[in-house]
Amino acid sequence: MNQKDMLESIVQEVMKQMSGGAPAAPAANGNTATADQDYPLSERRADQIKSPTGKSLNEITLEGVMNGSVTADDCKIRPETLEMQAQIAESVGRAAFARNLRRAAELIAVPDDRLLEIYNALRPYRSTKGEMIAIADELENQYNAKINGAFIREAAELYEQRGRLRV
Amino acid sequence: MKSKRFQVLAERDVNKDGFIKEWPEVGLIAMDGPNDPTPSIKIQNGKVVELDGKKREDFDLIDSFIAEYGIELSRAEEVMAIPSVDLAKMLVDVNVPRSEMVKYTIAMTPAKAAQVLGKMNVLEMMMALTKMRPRKTPSNQCHVTNVKDHPVQIAADSAEASLRGFDEHETTVGVVRYAPFNALSLLVGSQVGRPGVLTQCAVEEATELQLGMRGLTAYAETVSVYGTEQVFVDGDDTPWSKAFLASAYASRGLKMRFTSGTGSEVQMGYAEGKSMLYLEARCVFITKAAGVQGLQNGSISCIGVPGAVPSGIRAVLAENVITTMLDMEVASGNDQTFSHSPIRRTARTLMQMIPGTDFIFSGYSAVPNYDNMFAGSNFDAEDYDDYNVLQRDLKVDGGLRPVTEDEVVKIRNRAAKALQVVFKNLDLPEITDAEVEAATYAHGSKDMPDRNVVEDLKAAQEMMERKITGVDVIKALHNGGFEDVAGNLLNMMKMRVSGDHLHTSAIIDENFHVISAVNDCNDYNGPGTGYQISPERWDQIKNIPNAIDATDFE
Repeated sequence: MNQKDMLESIVQEVMKQMSGGAPAAPAANGNTATADQDYPLSERRADQIKSPTGKSLNEITLEGVMNGSVTADDCKIRPETLEMQAQIAESVGRAAFARNLRRAAELIAVPDDRLLEIYNALRPYRSTKGEMIAIADELENQYNAKINGAFIREAAELYEQRGRLRV
Repeated sequence: MKSKRFQVLAERDVNKDGFIKEWPEVGLIAMDGPNDPTPSIKIQNGKVVELDGKKREDFDLIDSFIAEYGIELSRAEEVMAIPSVDLAKMLVDVNVPRSEMVKYTIAMTPAKAAQVLGKMNVLEMMMALTKMRPRKTPSNQCHVTNVKDHPVQIAADSAEASLRGFDEHETTVGVVRYAPFNALSLLVGSQVGRPGVLTQCAVEEATELQLGMRGLTAYAETVSVYGTEQVFVDGDDTPWSKAFLASAYASRGLKMRFTSGTGSEVQMGYAEGKSMLYLEARCVFITKAAGVQGLQNGSISCIGVPGAVPSGIRAVLAENVITTMLDMEVASGNDQTFSHSPIRRTARTLMQMIPGTDFIFSGYSAVPNYDNMFAGSNFDAEDYDDYNVLQRDLKVDGGLRPVTEDEVVKIRNRAAKALQVVFKNLDLPEITDAEVEAATYAHGSKDMPDRNVVEDLKAAQEMMERKITGVDVIKALHNGGFEDVAGNLLNMMKMRVSGDHLHTSAIIDENFHVISAVNDCNDYNGPGTGYQISPERWDQIKNIPNAIDATDFE
């Protein structure tokens, strides 16, 4: 690694820690994805993009749908891909959007119905503080969703201060 | 005696509109309200301890959310020290490129952004919008709805709208339980018209997400945010719940943007005596803080409120500009009937049409006004030719193109037939040949036969219980002989695997290539730069079918 590359990776690492995000899953080539080099991923990194079921883009075909080898589960995004998109967002200065994508990467594992329930529980006057903390625990422990867990703990504190909890 | 002049004037369309004098104490003021806070920020140990005159201990949920996530703090103090008029000048200065300007604008507070816009007239705001919109290529979105929630008409209107050039289509419902059918009909119709069109179904938040998860829609927009805490909570959400919802969408590979608009707070009775633009600036910052890629604003469903006060339509343009200043996609309104006067309607739309935005309309009505279930739009299907001529007169790309009757009839018929086989193969209530025929030639739902609504609603509910997904629709199309449309739907589903279309201002072209503010960045810096109408595109715009050709006289 030359000096410039090393500096770049150190800065990136520091930035990631500042933003509180989990360490990035490295792209398959070991580099950070950027707008210039990698976007759109479906065209320029088609070899690295896979569904959560392990299918590559060119394996998701009409024939596959018709013979049943391709299902709706093959048409989903996986955390590694969202992480690459977050890196691309950062490479064009969109830190807040990248944070959203990293929260999203954690939520992939949460089943549809549970995700909808948690959203509803975060609405005003729906949950006690204890219930919100329990959701944060669940996200952290069952789904390793640390960013989301912290996000909901923060909300629980502020809902309490502003009287927006269920009483 | 009564003046005959005044009698004539009294009968003019504009005098059917409602107007209100400013009343700042309740928030009936467009911009620069006397009670708006003085812009300020204080940062200690990396934390905002004062925001726009309010101390941290007095923060409401919105202040806390913006302070934590919505402002680029590294340059905030520096930018806040620059006089607002100087920042306004930079916004119109073609020598300050967007990429440089954004570094300043994302480091402002909401009150600062509102104050900067207060220094600008509409022409300057239009210049700023031309420069600051994220995607270089402008585009347009339409509404496809009807009073009967007639699925075949939705499919046909959507196919025609695709042909006419809309890159995003939005539907909603008359009867809530029709939502699955409306989403399905829009999906099929849009992909018959043009591969790659993005579709959404605007319903209650949780239902909307569910339709997306099933692969029946590709994006969402009806995720509303508000500028005061009380109105936000009355809207049954908080910044945290909405931000979580945003991430839920992205986790399913679905594009989404938030919605807000001037006038909503005063309309809902809790404007806290602040101007509409200041409160809207808070909404834009909430959206940024949530990490959402874009925002639908431009007053939207509240346009009657800013439309009635002095400088209100200027404020509506200003809120679009603030969205682009925060480096977000703007779907810039023009989507509700706001005036009886065609002159006012046109003037209001030129504010966005001439500069060009990511979506000039966030709902041009692709149906007659009476069929628009979003309370009408500023331009309707009846105005298609007017709009095409405006593009031609001004040499402006408003995202649409002239079409011929033959091609429209053909594409409407094909969409209706495609939906017919989908309904058949998914065991949904029959679509008759008579309905296909009616939708092919219809202007609106008055031209459509009635369906058995009870049977439809039962089937729509069962469709959700049976967990019908986009993949089932693909099979139904394929088995019905629409292999190409099935392929288009599959390509839309595959977008979710890569998530390329989650990025700022993303649209998808007919080859499923994503065009966004990542690979199509707005680089406007004066005449001859930025988006230029290509010779091919100009041919399309200028060749309206009814123009006389001199060679016809030879």
